[in-house]
Amino acid sequence: MKDIVFDFPLFTIILPLLGAVICSVAGKKVSKYVYFAVSLICAALSVPVLLYTLENGYFTRAMGHFAAPFGNEIRVGTAEVLFTLLAVLLPALSVLGGKRRLMEDISEKKINFYFVMLCLLQSAITALAYTNDLFTAYVFIEISTLTSCGLLMIRQIGRTTVAAVRYMIFNLLGSGFVLMGICMLYDLTGYLSMSYIKEAVADIAATGKYTVPLTAAVGLIVIGIGMKSGMFPFHLWMPDTYSTSTTASACILSGLVSKGYIFLLIKIIYRVIGFDVMEGTGVPLVIFVFGLAGMIVGSLGAIRENEIRRMIAYSSAAQIGYIYMGIGIGGPAAQAAVAAAVFHIFTHALTKPLLFISASGLSQASGGEVKFAALQGSAHRNPIAGAAFTVGALSMVGMPGFAGFISKLLFAQAAVASDNRAIITLSVLAISTILNAIYFLRTTMRIYLPSAEPRQNTSVYKNGTAFVFACAVLTAFNVFLGMHSQPILDMINAGIETLA
Amino acid sequence: MSDLLLMLSAIAVPVVSGIAVGLIKMNAKAQKALVLSACALTAVITGVNAAADTGASHVVLSVVGPLELTLCTDGVSKIFSIIAVVMWLLAAVFSQSYMRHESKDTHPRYYAFLLVSLGMTLGMDFAGDMITAYLFYELITLTTFPLVLHSMRPEAIRAAKKYLFYSVAGGFMALFGIFFCYNNCSTLAFTAGGSLLPQGGTGIMLVAVFVAILGFGAKAGSYPLHGWLPTAHPEAPAPASALLSGVIAKAGVLAIIRIVFYVVGADLIAGTWVQYAWTGVALLTVFMGSMMAYREKLFKKRLAYSTVSQISYVLLGLSLLNFGGVTGALLHVIFHAVIKCGLFLVAGAIICKTGLTNIDDYTGIGKRMPVTLWCFTICSLALIGIPPLSGFVSKWYLASASLAEYPGALGWICVAVLLVSALLTAGYLLPVTVRGFFPGNDYKTGERCEADAYMLVPLIILAVAAALLGIFIPDQLRSLVYAIAGAVAL
Amino acid sequence: MGENFFYNYEEVAAILLFGIGFTTLVFHRNLIKKIIGMNIMDTAIYLFLASMGYIDGGTAPIIDGAETYINPIPSGLVLTGIVVSVSVSAIMLALTVRLYGRYHTLNLDYIYMYAQKEHE
Repeated sequence: MKDIVFDFPLFTIILPLLGAVICSVAGKKVSKYVYFAVSLICAALSVPVLLYTLENGYFTRAMGHFAAPFGNEIRVGTAEVLFTLLAVLLPALSVLGGKRRLMEDISEKKINFYFVMLCLLQSAITALAYTNDLFTAYVFIEISTLTSCGLLMIRQIGRTTVAAVRYMIFNLLGSGFVLMGICMLYDLTGYLSMSYIKEAVADIAATGKYTVPLTAAVGLIVIGIGMKSGMFPFHLWMPDTYSTSTTASACILSGLVSKGYIFLLIKIIYRVIGFDVMEGTGVPLVIFVFGLAGMIVGSLGAIRENEIRRMIAYSSAAQIGYIYMGIGIGGPAAQAAVAAAVFHIFTHALTKPLLFISASGLSQASGGEVKFAALQGSAHRNPIAGAAFTVGALSMVGMPGFAGFISKLLFAQAAVASDNRAIITLSVLAISTILNAIYFLRTTMRIYLPSAEPRQNTSVYKNGTAFVFACAVLTAFNVFLGMHSQPILDMINAGIETLA
Repeated sequence: MSDLLLMLSAIAVPVVSGIAVGLIKMNAKAQKALVLSACALTAVITGVNAAADTGASHVVLSVVGPLELTLCTDGVSKIFSIIAVVMWLLAAVFSQSYMRHESKDTHPRYYAFLLVSLGMTLGMDFAGDMITAYLFYELITLTTFPLVLHSMRPEAIRAAKKYLFYSVAGGFMALFGIFFCYNNCSTLAFTAGGSLLPQGGTGIMLVAVFVAILGFGAKAGSYPLHGWLPTAHPEAPAPASALLSGVIAKAGVLAIIRIVFYVVGADLIAGTWVQYAWTGVALLTVFMGSMMAYREKLFKKRLAYSTVSQISYVLLGLSLLNFGGVTGALLHVIFHAVIKCGLFLVAGAIICKTGLTNIDDYTGIGKRMPVTLWCFTICSLALIGIPPLSGFVSKWYLASASLAEYPGALGWICVAVLLVSALLTAGYLLPVTVRGFFPGNDYKTGERCEADAYMLVPLIILAVAAALLGIFIPDQLRSLVYAIAGAVAL
Repeated sequence: MGENFFYNYEEVAAILLFGIGFTTLVFHRNLIKKIIGMNIMDTAIYLFLASMGYIDGGTAPIIDGAETYINPIPSGLVLTGIVVSVSVSAIMLALTVRLYGRYHTLNLDYIYMYAQKEHE
């Protein structure tokens, strides 16, 4: 009976592909149910895998008849399964929260294509988490790029198409870099399987012969993934993308897709190159500086914005900066910092969809407007969305009791443990917290103050049950992570130790 | 176990009833019954808790790693919680009459946040470690801010924004300090005398403690983060202003007491630049607050500046770090809460009955509202520090303690500032009384519009307490204050 | 280092082509040229891959009794890459068609301008 657990990860990758095939020929309703069924089954399959890895550590599974390094394989550890659970549940919650907008924004005949893209994206992100082969990772990076572009493009107004083009250009540049870096690594080491590359890289670094190509390969991969996930200075595609797409797509793109790339980057740093060699190349310092810059620039951009969704998008850029800062801290506190970064991945992935969903609820209650002047007092027209936005905003600011406070605390602890980067990390953390407070608290106040001109109908906007359910579940997760995060943190720490 | 239940119910009863008042539609009678009974019940529970002889700390919830939410009732908790529930009960009674002249739609919101903030204040009073205290400190900010916003006028909105930003900024400065304490103290749970590790006495630790004092001082109205207080306190409805000045500003003081005396320990900062800087900041605020109050013409704003000044008396006492200083500070916390509540409730009564807000219009008010103005007079005399009223006792402790701590010039400067501030206090409080009772010959008598029973009873209680508490300090209170001061002071 | 340039001329050419494709993708304003640049960039990577798989004296990797074969893996990788490149080009061209149908220009700057204006 235990052996069947070994096959579950493969099922969680294959099942959405099957679901995509069914959705492509099914109608609107059937494809929706197929998608939710696939999500639930994958989540149910991942739970026993998580329990197994918590007890016994990681396991590998060959894909095909040849064992590594000649064949492909997947490797399943605690961190990967946790991320897969996130990848499976988050799109479902986002679709529930954005369902009304989804049905309005997309033409009837194309809704099943939306779910096709969603199933493929879910399969791709799951595979990114589990894969142990570098080129397979590239293939699934490309699949997730194409499907996320599909999620964007499916809304056919002009601005969305322009945003999709911009998104694709940035992503293609990033993909080109990643592929070049992977090819260089293959050239240097001769392996594509991650653990084998690590031994070879360690040998190369010991001899000291190929330092420049190694640095170039590592740098290309880091810059490529950074471009695709919104690291400063490549975050300029985020505001257009997240503000013009339909709400569910914005949630999934900001909450899941960027994080999938970052998780892959963490895997590459620890399992392919090894952190010691990374430090030798000097790339973590670049990641650290770009992370710090992203934290400040993202928040500054958010303060200047006049529309609520663009403001939340700039805030995403700032939060991704936090994660990169945690990855790049290095030194004696590297593991604690990466654990903090992974915890922040989960926090942000649960908070950002809450913000987008509640913002869409607020703007729907105000006649579809997104500018702040029209949204004043909208929390009285849509109390549930107002309360959900307040929870998300307080979590982003770092109020104790919510998840954001815990992740800021973990970052600060990791910063203090790293000797030479403590002061600058703590000061940038403080500055960015104050900047976050400025625009989030200002917006929260604005949605609660009564609006300036009297409105014709002051009735309360009726939300769908799916919307209320999504808001409630995301809020519950947020408060749970804020008040009782030790179990999750233990799991993350256990996962990171076995990540290498 | 039972004291944990008492503490949890003391926090839960106001929060639950506040949420009920806010969300459930009920008529005026039911609302009045619910609010008053919730306050009374909380007062009873807190009284029982304070009478019980406990000190055990209970872990309520384990958050992450060594961070836990703990509740504990020690001497300081007892003092602050009793002050809180008594003032809240009196303010709730006063509100019944005061809110009649505000529109009925705003009542649920007002009472809801009034009750919930009581729960949050009690939570902070009962906190057993610094993280729990910080959590409730931020929640106090969030739940009192709608009280400032109550009237929704543009000035109120601006004042509320200022309050929010100053408090949040102060909270983050304090978090910076707490964070360093976490790394340099063996535990963040409150232990008398602090739990600083031997290697923790570094320069950066001093900076962290000072930043935390300034950060928590934001809520207490201490320089340099005092800018919000004179704009925010007058905007709230008068009973809420009374609570803001009388009790909630003390939350900042409580946080400073906890972090200096119960987490880090007074030894760390005794004799260092931190102590001198803290005393200097307190002196500056005392003088500046009284000066600004003297020049201010709006009655409620004058009282708000007075709060800025008086709370810095408390901070001055705490910064002395010696027995007399801590005793004087704690006594002044109690006396000032009583006096300032009384003063703000008088302001509320006058504004409610006559609509006058400017001091210059208060000539002859004593003829129209004699009892109210008598209460005001007694409270003012107590605040100025006329013996044998209560304010004199605490100021005497402060003056003698400052001479004991700073034998040189600084001690005499402290006494001088205290004296000048007392003179200024007389200057800004007594003219109201004098002009109120002796308006001069060319004054046309207005009709009597004395405040009604709901307003007068709390006022009389507070005035009597302000007068007599100094002389007739209950024995338990005296021994409690001495015990606290003995445990933590140097 | 100079002799390395001559010895590895395929890789050098690949990197040069990569640079050309990259700058075309970034700097040109015309959408079709951007897509062409992207294709050049991808093709350069395939050149890089294929050239590193070549072993002197080896024949094509089909078993027919020869001494040495060249490395077969890069060829597989190149095939995968070509598939990816084709899909991406297809999506980009579809986007271009949609944009042209709406804004009647292929210049990305003008398209941004028009999109901004219709949002105001």
